[in-house]
Amino acid sequence: MTGLRQLIASPDFRAGFVEMLPACIGLIPFGLVCGVGAQAAGADALAAFGLSTIIFSGAAQILALQLYAAGAPLAIVVLTCFVLGLRLLMYSAAMAPHLASLSPRWQRGLAFLLTDQAFAAAIRRFNATHDPRRGAHYFLGCGVALWTTWQSTNLAGYFAGNLIPVSWSLDFAVPLCFIALVAPLFRTAPNVTAALVAAVAVLAFGALPMKLNLVVAGVLGIVAGTLAELAGERWKAR
Amino acid sequence: MEGALKLWAIIVLVGALNYASRLSFIAIFARRSIPPLLARALRFVPAAMLTALIVPMVVMPSGTIEPLSPRVVAALVAAVVAFRARSTLATLAAGMLALWIIQAIGG
Repeated sequence: MTGLRQLIASPDFRAGFVEMLPACIGLIPFGLVCGVGAQAAGADALAAFGLSTIIFSGAAQILALQLYAAGAPLAIVVLTCFVLGLRLLMYSAAMAPHLASLSPRWQRGLAFLLTDQAFAAAIRRFNATHDPRRGAHYFLGCGVALWTTWQSTNLAGYFAGNLIPVSWSLDFAVPLCFIALVAPLFRTAPNVTAALVAAVAVLAFGALPMKLNLVVAGVLGIVAGTLAELAGERWKAR
Repeated sequence: MEGALKLWAIIVLVGALNYASRLSFIAIFARRSIPPLLARALRFVPAAMLTALIVPMVVMPSGTIEPLSPRVVAALVAAVVAFRARSTLATLAAGMLALWIIQAIGG
């Protein structure tokens, strides 16, 4: 236990925890909405807790619940959530060189805490410190802050979400949390292309059943971004 | 498959796939290098997937497309704040305030 106590006392763990708090406050409404969603879809308390602890991804939880409530087949729910979770593959690839020298236990633990928010904060830290151990402590601090916030707000939303007035439009907090992640990416032309193509496609294919337009739009956006970047490089090389 | 059993199947399968994705390059394929084209394509997943999620929530919250609703204006305000500040909290505050103000003015 002294190891754990030392870890929690380390300045890097504390810095990660404290610097994640503003983002955690921003995620409170999102967590509440996920809890309300679980309750509205007819999940019992244990399943609601399973959603937030085992899936631990707001986007996947919301989408899984919507598809479940709409009666979509299991394979469609799993496929759609997998395509949505492809960005975790990208985060994993970007994080891998920084975690390569750590023990498997650390790697498995930190991978469990790898989310959009923790990735954004931790990758900045790793690029700044170049010390894998200290970066890992910072990452763990971020992850613990996010995990705790996520579980408590999901539970609060499940049990007390119906106390929140509908006129507050709290569900709008969900797209806002995603906008906070995506808008800073719009500094490069290929990212803007990927987003524009995905936006048009998701509306154009809106008639597809079971939210398959999300999968189609995501794939088209990824292809468009890749092609735009390749075309840009070829243009520069001329 | 129906009801609680199906929901648990979703939780376990989506959870397992999510964890496998998180662990993928950190541990499972750690010794293999990523094919360059895949690495390139993966970098556009956040912009494409997150936008595909956001747009229907903002433009058609009730199922029909409303191109100039209070939500669309509030989302644009939030996007400008997010682009400049890179902060979840500032984006959330700006977007919710914009929505509440527009709804209060519009009735």
